[in-house]
Amino acid sequence: MAENIESNPFVDVSVYLFFEDISDKQGVEGFTNYMVGQAQSLAKSVPEEEYETWDDFASAVVSGESVFSSFESIEQISKCGFVTNICPFSKAIGEYIKRIGNFNPVHIEATDHYNHTIQPSAAHSACMMHQTYRREVAKRITVGGKPLQYAQIGAKAYTGEIALPPESWKKVLLEKAGISETQGFMEMRENSCLYLLYVEG
Amino acid sequence: MMDIAIYSLVDDMVSKAGTEGVVEYWLRVGESYAERMGKEAYVGWPAFNVAMKEGRTSLTVEGEVNVLTDLAIIDKDGDVIGYVYALKTCPMAPTMRRYISRIGPIPDSDTDVADSYNNRIRDSAVSNYCITHQKFREVAANNITVAKQALECLQLANKGMTGDVKMVPENLARINVDERHIKSILRSASCVFALIVKGKSAGEEIIE
Repeated sequence: MAENIESNPFVDVSVYLFFEDISDKQGVEGFTNYMVGQAQSLAKSVPEEEYETWDDFASAVVSGESVFSSFESIEQISKCGFVTNICPFSKAIGEYIKRIGNFNPVHIEATDHYNHTIQPSAAHSACMMHQTYRREVAKRITVGGKPLQYAQIGAKAYTGEIALPPESWKKVLLEKAGISETQGFMEMRENSCLYLLYVEG
Repeated sequence: MMDIAIYSLVDDMVSKAGTEGVVEYWLRVGESYAERMGKEAYVGWPAFNVAMKEGRTSLTVEGEVNVLTDLAIIDKDGDVIGYVYALKTCPMAPTMRRYISRIGPIPDSDTDVADSYNNRIRDSAVSNYCITHQKFREVAANNITVAKQALECLQLANKGMTGDVKMVPENLARINVDERHIKSILRSASCVFALIVKGKSAGEEIIE
């Protein structure tokens, strides 16, 4: 397991404020675009990885050795179903609330904008960054020579709200993850994020 | 993970708004962060220094601060007008270490933005984050009163990840502290600053 270096919350909170300042100048769309854009750039900066087998990949992810798990602790709950127990943004969110107060409403507006224009999977503005990072970093990983695929199933906000895909998608994604809807809800009670990782064919 | 975003965000911003635009964003963030922390009042310097040591002031949200009470700043009448403080660890240091270990070298845009600030505003940034951090301290200090007098923060010196040091000679002169003394403090700190009663100096009073 790689060394876990804790960030200073002072820095975390200032990044949220940076995004808020962007939204003052460029609106919710600018906020969303910057959050998505910088997550894409971040993912493009990480080294590429290749694994021979699915088990090799899953083991690297769970042990924190893959770039996929650079910023979060991941557990495997089925062959293709994975969960993140603690949202890597929860500390920063808690510090923002502790130091400054209620979250600026622009975070909710940007989350809605993302859910309506990109995909309905974000529970908080930080999810936009996190899910984009996961989606882009998956493109840098191959398993058995095939590119890794990622699909978000559930994300829980600090308020307890859970973002889930539309019914028709949810059924397909859960089936592919090899878990029932009830199991999915049970996982979301214990974890902050549930997603699917797989390779085609 | 939020902190790691800084580097890719700044990289993106530089390509869209230029280094000057990023400097402006960071200055506004520092200001709004400090303004949203609210105001504080202390009956006197001992009360304020205890709060600094215990990490209860808005100025200590950035990390642990050494209160150098042996470095009291005295005006021409012999009154104590402030003290020197040393931030033990730069708040950006863990993020830099994590970025280097997980992603790779720090992007050039970090230095480009810092240089833009150093050339146009004040030669005191060793990384792009110093811009918002120093602005935060300046505005937060203005929101604190000690014995009913508003404070002013003077950036004195800071040290970068690779050991490069920035000194602000005009501020050192204002509190009449020798550069060598500050360098010795920097051996075990990342940033040194003074908090003084607004408008005062070790010599003549500064009238704004």
